[in-house]
Amino acid sequence: MKPLTALIADDEAPMRDLLRSRLQQAWPELQIVAEAANGVEAVELGEMFRPDIAFLDIRMPGLSGIEAARRLYEQSHIVFATAYDQYALDAFEQGALDYLLKPVSAERLATTCARLQARLRKHASADAAAPQDIGQQLAKLTTLLENKGKPDKPTYLRWIQAQVGSSLRMVSTREILFFQSDEKYTRVQTAAAEFLIRKTLKELLDELDPDEFWRIHRSTLVRVDAIAEVKRDLRGRQMLKVRGFPGELEVSRNHSYLFQQM
Amino acid sequence: MRASDINRVLDFVRDAFNEASKVWWRFFDWLAVVEWRQLFLTWFFVLIFFALVNTPEPALWYIFVSFAVKVLAGGKRKAELMAREATTQANVATLERRLMEAQMAALQAQVEPHFLFNTLALIGQLIETDPKEAARVHAHLIDYLRSTLPQMRQRGGATLGKQVELSRAYLAIMQARMKERLHVRFDVPDFLGSAPFPPMMLQTLIENAIKHGLEPKIEGGTVAVRALVVGADLHVEVCDDGVGIDPHADDGVGLANIRERLQLLYGAEAALDISTPPGGGACATIRLPYKMMEDA
Repeated sequence: MKPLTALIADDEAPMRDLLRSRLQQAWPELQIVAEAANGVEAVELGEMFRPDIAFLDIRMPGLSGIEAARRLYEQSHIVFATAYDQYALDAFEQGALDYLLKPVSAERLATTCARLQARLRKHASADAAAPQDIGQQLAKLTTLLENKGKPDKPTYLRWIQAQVGSSLRMVSTREILFFQSDEKYTRVQTAAAEFLIRKTLKELLDELDPDEFWRIHRSTLVRVDAIAEVKRDLRGRQMLKVRGFPGELEVSRNHSYLFQQM
Repeated sequence: MRASDINRVLDFVRDAFNEASKVWWRFFDWLAVVEWRQLFLTWFFVLIFFALVNTPEPALWYIFVSFAVKVLAGGKRKAELMAREATTQANVATLERRLMEAQMAALQAQVEPHFLFNTLALIGQLIETDPKEAARVHAHLIDYLRSTLPQMRQRGGATLGKQVELSRAYLAIMQARMKERLHVRFDVPDFLGSAPFPPMMLQTLIENAIKHGLEPKIEGGTVAVRALVVGADLHVEVCDDGVGIDPHADDGVGLANIRERLQLLYGAEAALDISTPPGGGACATIRLPYKMMEDA
């Protein structure tokens, strides 16, 4: 029987060295045929060498270990290596996927190797693993890790880009007090500065978190957390005071329901 | 139309009344705290003034009203005012507590178990393959921990020099792990070493640059740290040539914490600016008032 082969993928060279030397001790017959420094390389080398086992780090540049696994699982047995991550561990515990906790200890690796040997022997004799099953598990893992356990939360705009000189200023929405449309531009006001951007209020309204910013006027969006108080002026209009800004913002009649007294 | 006119008049009357009551209360407060001797003095002047214009009644009214108010309600009002002052002091105390909490949060967030585990594993690995490098990384880890852990207790650590030292140790460890994927450039003049600089801010920016800028990039890149004095301000800048900032990514606890602490420590005089230079990557700049040395 020809010796089993393996691929190691990790973006940190010392981690590859560590896993290689531990593997050589725990499983001397295993041949490490390739080492990859990122996900893209892992897929390339995996397809080139067709190793029996692929040890994949989960967090890698280019392609994550899970994405790489989805391309390789039909030809190689996948073992994930991961630093502590509760979501990943839960996923692994539920499924039948093999994983190693980084940094890899010699004892833990010995157990994993014994299990792998048993599984691959069975695999060779029956030749009937269930790749579809693994494919499904990987798909589940991908969604689980990307959402970090939060069920489909839509992604809102968190940074506003404003041109300042030759560079783009990134203004966090948490700094912004309000947006005000100003003919061709939209004014972005923070406690310290104001910027002009080309995005229209309408576009902002679609992209921002509706719980973070409220529209209070045809031309004004205000960050809810920045509101200090609501007053009525002499003409009976509602006026907003915003923390960190000396002026007042008018609430139009159409939006005054936002600040009705409880 | 009529109704709205009446409304307007009513609004005006209400406003005038508000203004008058404001003035009255200010007078009331003044009466409550003014000393009797000064009050006598005002009586004297008022008497002379109104005697000169030959209508002493307003002066007598003034004396009567102020005397009555001072005797009847002055003590209570004075107590109230003192209570208010105490509240202001309590607010300052609250502010100090918030600052303390923000600092705590900053430090707790920093001691990342991942980093510690991976570095110890690296040292373990290097002991077998490259003992000299193992000793170097080990020394850097000790420097890093020394300046990270006891920060709450020792009060002298908050200088730019100390913060740069800590970050150098951290970056040296990261270089041992990322190898040629991480380059580091420091441009911090020696004379700025003694300038006060809040703890763990530079470190957070550097960790962000590596985690969000360089680690996701296959070929890696450079972290450049620069400090300079611009006018009366100290600018400390951390730039990377990594993948840049995703406008939909949350700005993170780290940056929010820096902003909160800058606000509590310096108010409007300090800021954290993030920008993306035309060549790609990201730059974070902390601006705060420059001082040569910490106060004794």
